Amino acid sequence: MILNIFGFLLMAFSAMALGLLFIGIARKVVARVQKRIGPPFYQAYLDVFKLFTKNSITHGFIFDFGAIMAFGGMITTLFFVPVGPFVLYGMNGTLLLVIYLMAVAYLGMAMATVGSGNPLASVGISRALTQMLGYELPFIVVLLTLIYSSNTSSIIGIVQTQQSGFMNWNLINIPIGTAIAFVTLLGLMGKKPFDAPIAPSEIASGPVVEHGGKYLAFIMLQHAVSVVVKTALFVDLFLGGGNNIFIFIVKMLIVWLLVTLIGSIFPRFKVEEGVLFYWRWPLIAALLQAVIIIF
Amino acid sequence: MRSENELIKLLNRDLNLLSFKKLRKQNISIRFENEELVSGLNYLKSQNYIHLATISCVDWIEDNQFELIYQLFSYEDKISLSVKTRINRKTSKFVTIKNLWGVAKYYERDIHDFFGIKFTGNDNMDELILENWNEIPPMRKDFKTRQYVDKKYDWRQYHGQE
Amino acid sequence: MNNKYESNKWQEVINWVQTRSLFMLHYCTGCGAIELPPTMTSRYDMSRFGIGPAATPRQADILLITGYLSTKTLRRVIYTYEQMQNPKFVMGFGSCTINGGMYWDSYNTIKQLDKYIPVDLYIAGCMPRPEAILEGFLKLKEKIETGSADGYKKYNKEYEKYKKNQEKVLGEVKRRQ
Repeated sequence: MILNIFGFLLMAFSAMALGLLFIGIARKVVARVQKRIGPPFYQAYLDVFKLFTKNSITHGFIFDFGAIMAFGGMITTLFFVPVGPFVLYGMNGTLLLVIYLMAVAYLGMAMATVGSGNPLASVGISRALTQMLGYELPFIVVLLTLIYSSNTSSIIGIVQTQQSGFMNWNLINIPIGTAIAFVTLLGLMGKKPFDAPIAPSEIASGPVVEHGGKYLAFIMLQHAVSVVVKTALFVDLFLGGGNNIFIFIVKMLIVWLLVTLIGSIFPRFKVEEGVLFYWRWPLIAALLQAVIIIF
Repeated sequence: MRSENELIKLLNRDLNLLSFKKLRKQNISIRFENEELVSGLNYLKSQNYIHLATISCVDWIEDNQFELIYQLFSYEDKISLSVKTRINRKTSKFVTIKNLWGVAKYYERDIHDFFGIKFTGNDNMDELILENWNEIPPMRKDFKTRQYVDKKYDWRQYHGQE
Repeated sequence: MNNKYESNKWQEVINWVQTRSLFMLHYCTGCGAIELPPTMTSRYDMSRFGIGPAATPRQADILLITGYLSTKTLRRVIYTYEQMQNPKFVMGFGSCTINGGMYWDSYNTIKQLDKYIPVDLYIAGCMPRPEAILEGFLKLKEKIETGSADGYKKYNKEYEKYKKNQEKVLGEVKRRQ
């Protein structure tokens, strides 16, 4: 029991550390793309540490609870996603559970928004939830196709079907689906073409507009964990997972760098443009892929 | 599209102008009596001078008069027209033109801020740009800027300054 | 004794981190705003010092005031400053914040920013070039590291004095949290 708790804590903290490292690398990469020198790769650690040393102001119980819910929701999601050899839960249905749990973080953000009462924050969170409508639809279609083709809805089960070699990866089996899933991953992570919910220059960073000091630090940690969760999920589902943690992290890093590079050169979609984008070609292609796989 | 001369001829025929002046190319200034200004603007609006760019004001303290200048522009003639009138500085009251151009109510509030001219018919004369101002309006010529600054703000003291 | 020594060490670590991660909120009132885009982007790139723009006062460490402040904008600056979380630093930018600059005899522009909110550092010039801004940031880092950038402590301690000065130019100032 105690060993279990220790394992959970270790996993949570290492995910935070890895996520912050990823964010630091992404900032460096974006800087190089824009011909800047950029901050050092450990900048994200310094930012979070500094934010924890700052004073912070609360806006009431709901605000606190929302921040905790956002952070805790993301950590909980992490426990259901296999990261390399670390598998805490392997039962059937984890894939669907993870999809639902990822929404908890957004709901926590929405709760904090209500607590803070800032109009920009409510604009941001309503954009985030609207955009969720957009990307979840093609994503779910791809996932159902995946569940049908691998005959299991547990993530570790899907990983195991791809174990025997490169040619068994879902990247090869369902190529269109992988591409669609990658496009929806951009929206899932809120990266550049789909970052209308946090647009700093329009709505002053949206849901986190009233988060200062330690609250912002928690949101940054939540973001770090979400980077790990979402890239790990993508690697598990389409890139064959991995028994070796280093290979797994390299795969995650490749996915994350692709996302970052795409994000560093694109301007921002309006929220309704984002939704329409997802509902047009990605949805059609995802349905097409489903038809191909089923028949 | 009318030329400047055609326009002046037309205005002289239809309106009771006090004076007119061709300032430069595509730029004409005309002057009205107080009472005829609103009907004059109404006529000009019907002649496609539909753009009210701004209303400005000049304090002619020696003549004891304020001069109000309505800047109009026509997208067809490509002529900008300065419509001027002078009002008494003591009473400093004039009629609003917010029924002709809705935006005029803000220009009038602005002028009320800086010159203290009241526009009858425009009810909302709250401060638009200034805040908590209780001196005489700052753009009037008898407002002593330097005196006010000396009283309100402190000058920075430098080393070696007397 | 030992405890105090340790807490000083800890404070040094905090200061060290704070100098390397600063979120800057720029209050762009005057022409100074135009000097910031080159400072942030590829030509001068201030993010290599760990300084980045922040979107809201709650997240910011530095309040950079770029240019003249009329009494009406001063009121908003005070609200902004009081919304920021400690530790917070203020940088006055350009000669307008120092002595009014070219608005020295304007009836509506304040002459000395540090009478109303505590200013940790001034960057002189009209306008200061991006090099001067970066130099200012490096000076501010030195001040933070030695702990002499304590404007926010001064504001808490001498609050009555600042409040009196603010009310002299603004009339009533509504306090918000």
